[in-house]
Amino acid sequence: MKLDRNNILTALSIALFFLFVWWANHHLTSYAVRIWEDTLIFLMLSAGYNLINGVTGQFSLEPNGFVAIGAYVTAILILTPAQKESMFIIEPMVPWLANLHMSFLPALIIGGIVTAIVGFLLGFPVFRVRGDYLAIVTLGFGLTIRVVSNNTITITNGSLGLKGIPTYTNIWWCAVWVVIAMIVIMRIVDSAFGRAMKAIRDDEDAAIAMGINTLWMKQIAFVTAAFFEGVGGGLLASLITIISPTVFTFFLTFELLIIIVVGGLGSMTGTAIATVLVVWGSELLRVVEQPMNIFGLHIPGIPGMRMVVFSILLIVIMIFAREGIMGQKEFSWDWLFNKFKGKRA
Amino acid sequence: MKRLLSSLVAVLVALTFLANASLAGEVKVGVVLPMTGLVAAFGQSAWKGIKLAQSMEPKTKNGCKVKLILLDNKGMKVETANAVSKLITDNHVRAIIGAITSSDTMAGAPIAEKHHIPMITSSATNPLVTKGKKYISRACFIDPFQGAVAAKYARNKLHAKTAAVMIERDQDYSVGLAHAFIKAFKKLGGKIVAVEFFQSTDQDYSAQISDIKAKHPDIIYMPSYYQEIALFARQARQYGLKQPILAGDGAEAEALIKIGGKAVEGLTFTTHFDPHAAATPLTVKFIKLYEKKYGTPPDAMAALGADAYFILVQAINKAGGCNAKPEKINYYIRHTKNFKGVTGTITIDPKTGNAIKSAVIRKVKNGKFVYVTTVNP
Repeated sequence: MKLDRNNILTALSIALFFLFVWWANHHLTSYAVRIWEDTLIFLMLSAGYNLINGVTGQFSLEPNGFVAIGAYVTAILILTPAQKESMFIIEPMVPWLANLHMSFLPALIIGGIVTAIVGFLLGFPVFRVRGDYLAIVTLGFGLTIRVVSNNTITITNGSLGLKGIPTYTNIWWCAVWVVIAMIVIMRIVDSAFGRAMKAIRDDEDAAIAMGINTLWMKQIAFVTAAFFEGVGGGLLASLITIISPTVFTFFLTFELLIIIVVGGLGSMTGTAIATVLVVWGSELLRVVEQPMNIFGLHIPGIPGMRMVVFSILLIVIMIFAREGIMGQKEFSWDWLFNKFKGKRA
Repeated sequence: MKRLLSSLVAVLVALTFLANASLAGEVKVGVVLPMTGLVAAFGQSAWKGIKLAQSMEPKTKNGCKVKLILLDNKGMKVETANAVSKLITDNHVRAIIGAITSSDTMAGAPIAEKHHIPMITSSATNPLVTKGKKYISRACFIDPFQGAVAAKYARNKLHAKTAAVMIERDQDYSVGLAHAFIKAFKKLGGKIVAVEFFQSTDQDYSAQISDIKAKHPDIIYMPSYYQEIALFARQARQYGLKQPILAGDGAEAEALIKIGGKAVEGLTFTTHFDPHAAATPLTVKFIKLYEKKYGTPPDAMAALGADAYFILVQAINKAGGCNAKPEKINYYIRHTKNFKGVTGTITIDPKTGNAIKSAVIRKVKNGKFVYVTTVNP
């Protein structure tokens, strides 16, 4: 990596980001910190998802399955053997897993790697189809994971789920992982791989004709996404301390899909903006569900109102920005400087 | 467009301030319930009960108003944790009522525990909810108790020697209750002859039914929800399986009778509350006011929600009313003794935070739920 202007600026802004995290951790309420943790985890999940859906253009619906695998693997590894023994009341856990115990970092990485391996193996069958068919088979995978986690009682504790997971996740864990994920994903997007992925998105047949090995390109995107979604799942498991098959339903995929579509398919900048918008939006909009007094007029709180307001906001965004907030554009330092120069000239 | 947006933002900001403006002399209590989502029906019922309870006892000692701040958790774990966190650090509540399901409550519990804010749940029955926690208590009994009550009733009243158990594999509620029943039934000298599994969305129970039929159990225990129980009962009767069916509180819904029809006649289940077994003066008063306000008799969720509120207000009063500190409120919640609530007499174990109270057994008779008996702990 060269020490040119852009790289220095990027390094500086990462430092600024960590400074913000430090400040937030010390000065914000624990509620705000918690929502930032949610935001960062969701950013990581949706950035990975955008790599496969937006950049490579393979419309798939599997993230809830990947997040579930990462969450389960991490949770199983960080729970103590004593906890596992008291939790598995239907059937005891398989012995080699029950006695496994390690610290958070290796657990997260193993969670990511296991998910990546599953993603790799899954890639071969599912990428034999394209378009709507791909969406359907990957949706099937997401559903299958749920059924599997319900029925492999000796590993996942079935519907009872895993409870009392140690809370290691804090805003620092989330921040560092997000930075790693964003750097890796942005580097892939900017590399020859990234250009090949975009070629597949724009016209797969033309890409094949140009000599691009489409299966491998898709696999690279898929496995990278799987790894970060697995790690994100691990962070999520340790944040909410309790996981069960019902946490990872299609709604999770749906939420991520909203984020990447609103942000702009293929734009990581858009994903970042949309993640903040969606996660913070649904929290800040709690205001509209509270009873209010406006100029003496009493309005009782209506639960569910924030979802209505939120949906209207989404519709407005999609009407005025058809391709999402950022479209396929990315923020770059060159763009910023050109803008300044253009103004001066 | 821009002007519209900025005025919209201005209105929103103004509303935020108005919504947060609080009067002096109130005690803020957070309420976290699923008002939307898959289990919204439970949350809405509980909220009805809590609101009515508040209108019955709106003030604490020294005349402070109890201000309830309701946050919706959509029946999701992440949202529950966020809501609990918001209530504590943003709204500065002194206590929290919620959530409905055990798993949601467990997602919020570590945060309340960390900030030393008492949290009382109306209906989370999983034993792990309060395990090892100092600030989490509940107004309902726990799964092992409910399972044990069913086992006792089956052994002592129905004189059943053998039982078959139907477990809904993907519902932790069902698994927990079945586990407790099996343990208690065996302890009382009974024998479990068949354990059958099924899934929430199953429509066809013929495999389980033919299996159970071959084993000839005296009773069938099916801790599940009303749709599944009703469907199972219909098919079981069709195939000539005539044994009595026992269930848990998940059976309690009008839809059970609507779907099940004649097949659920005689179905018996354990639950928290029966309007006809008016246990305390408060029960009578609550039912009367509830019917007047909402036009229907209260269900278990509403009654339990009201009890959580009453226990909490009582604890606030004992802790000093207006200036009650969360630590003290928690102390008095956990030292609730022989409190005459809506669902009966409640004592909370100071060590575990679990409510020690009686269970009610109800039965379907002539297409209606009727009271059978009360089982004391």
